[in-house]
Amino acid sequence: MVENRPFAAIFSHVVLIIGVVIIAFPVYLAFVASSTDATTISNGQLSLIPDRHLIENYAKVLFEGTDRSTKQPMIVPLMNSFIMAMIIAIGKIFISLLSAFAIVYFRFPFRNTAFWVIFLTLMLPVEVRIYPTYKIVADLHMLDTYAGLTIPLIASATATLLFRQFFLTVPDELIEASKIDGAGPWKFFIDSLLPLSMTSIAAMFVIQFIYGWNQYLWPLLITTRDDMQTIVIGIQKMLTVTDALTEWQLAMATTILAMLPPVIVVIAMQRLFVRGLTETEK
Amino acid sequence: MADVVLNLVGKLYAGNIRAVSDVSFAVPDGGFCVLVGPSGCGKSTLLRMIAGLETVTDGEISIAGRVVNRIEPMHRDIAMVFQNYALYPHMSVYDNMAYGLRNRKTPEAEIAARVAEAARILELEPYLKRRPKQLSGGQRQRVAMGRAIVRKPQVFLFDEPLSNLDAKLRGQMRVEIKTLQRQLGVTSVYVTHDQLEAMTLADMLVVMNRGRIEQIGEPLYLYENPATIFVAEFIGAPPMNMIGLDPAVGIPAGLSGAESLPVPPTGAMLGIRPEHLHLDRGDGERGSRLRLELKIDAIEAVGAETYFYGHLGSTGPRLVVREAGRGVVPTDGARAFLADRAHIHLFDKASGRRIEM
Ligand SMILES: Nc1ncnc2c1ncn2[C@@H]1O[C@H](COP(=O)(O)OP(=O)(O)OP(=O)(O)O)[C@@H](O)[C@H]1O
Ligand SMILES: [Mg+2]
Repeated sequence: MVENRPFAAIFSHVVLIIGVVIIAFPVYLAFVASSTDATTISNGQLSLIPDRHLIENYAKVLFEGTDRSTKQPMIVPLMNSFIMAMIIAIGKIFISLLSAFAIVYFRFPFRNTAFWVIFLTLMLPVEVRIYPTYKIVADLHMLDTYAGLTIPLIASATATLLFRQFFLTVPDELIEASKIDGAGPWKFFIDSLLPLSMTSIAAMFVIQFIYGWNQYLWPLLITTRDDMQTIVIGIQKMLTVTDALTEWQLAMATTILAMLPPVIVVIAMQRLFVRGLTETEK
Repeated sequence: MADVVLNLVGKLYAGNIRAVSDVSFAVPDGGFCVLVGPSGCGKSTLLRMIAGLETVTDGEISIAGRVVNRIEPMHRDIAMVFQNYALYPHMSVYDNMAYGLRNRKTPEAEIAARVAEAARILELEPYLKRRPKQLSGGQRQRVAMGRAIVRKPQVFLFDEPLSNLDAKLRGQMRVEIKTLQRQLGVTSVYVTHDQLEAMTLADMLVVMNRGRIEQIGEPLYLYENPATIFVAEFIGAPPMNMIGLDPAVGIPAGLSGAESLPVPPTGAMLGIRPEHLHLDRGDGERGSRLRLELKIDAIEAVGAETYFYGHLGSTGPRLVVREAGRGVVPTDGARAFLADRAHIHLFDKASGRRIEM
């Protein structure tokens, strides 16, 4: 088909390459900017080839911070963001697996009500319930803690729905075979359901990690101390400088650093999808 | 002594759906009982009640002398083979077989020995490390069998285990299951809707219809003495020929010698198996035999036997005749067939029950 029409092949490649360039160029520009010095940037003489100050700039943002704005080493907010995203992703997956398990496999009063209540929370993201949530967190003295940062974001209908949908596709005979093989509900969950859900879990992890990593509004409200800041807020603060020039090369280095963990998570989890699908040996 | 005894067992599903009623029978220790019947007659429901996967709403089930109505499946000491095998897709063949033993805290050395033994019997040794999806249908079926036998349970339960296999493999596995069951001597209950499977496997055949038992007995006894029209038509292939006899209407055209049959006033069904009709070659006495004149529509010669398809007296019920050897009859035209009195069956049309003669 496509091979028979070289023009179509060339055309579609050109379109794809243009698309990639449009998306990748700003990132590349940020990377180049992060490798120059302040003078070059402020003169607007940015070249397209990386400069000599790469390692110097990165070491500086990581361990010293900017000279003029926050003066905080960025390693701290990076760690905070990482911890927050991990707790959110793992917590969401853990809670959703358990609630989906309960909803699909157990008959209890108000089971459907429970399901619909979970479903309804889809309509109440953090931004909508932000004031009451803030009040509760403050009253519980959870401001400036990881608990306050993550717990309100953990309750998640999306992941519960996804796992429920997946559990419904697991054949009933498998549960019955487990019962006869002497596995109780808990053993069935651990021995069969979890291994079978591995690819869904990996997908969920990627989505939720990025969701956690990119949180802006909630951390902004809930953290006041510098050592509890997340990287997204760190970047934002870096840009607001009074009576001086923004240190763009450092801001760009921080931006690049902030992009890395989600990229690594995607790449690592992608391996897991592929392995889950093609795994042959035990 | 692991006998399985059912006493007036019934099942009422939620929504007042009656699936099984008043089923009683006893499978002796080491016996092979086959539950057979058309789709939806409640065979699986009954088997799942024995397994403990479905609650028993009426009556009592006991295994090895112990009432198991309220006992969890794992404590009933049974093993079940499912129609779709229900193998754990994420476990190797070895782990599939070992799983039930591990849950029972069997020592790992003992597990290895038992799995090796089962793998040898079922010729699964080369596949122990594979996943179920890397096996053929027949091999998966064997793994499901292996999972059942490693446990050395008191009772095997099978729910249409061969229905996903092709005809050739089905025949082969049927023989294997029978041999294995003999060898192990484990009491078995087997569900199928395939009457050939039922006939060949069973020591004891239970024919079910609409949640009730129609007849229980040895397969050949049922073949020769069907208690109801349902059993007569269900067992045997091609099915038994049925001719309606109505005293008000008189003897159907083409049939002679039936005058003396004890037909009740409400009417009867006369049943004759295809192999009990023989070509009337015009030689010898007709005696007390029944004579049926058929208008032949088609003849199928398959080598060892010949099938004649036709209608009694040209417009009557459709009949099938199975003659040994090769028929030498032109396709169209009328032919007469004779049936021995010893081989005919008579059923009350109203109740469907057999009339003894
Ligand atoms: N969970 C259920 N709830 C309500 N009715 C059910 C349920 N399971 C089965 N039934 C009904 O009970 C009857 C018997 O079902 P069962 O599965 O035992 O049939 P079967 O003899 O095994 O048929 P098949 O040969 O098609 O497997 C059917 O009429 C079916 O609709
Ligand atoms: Mg069934």
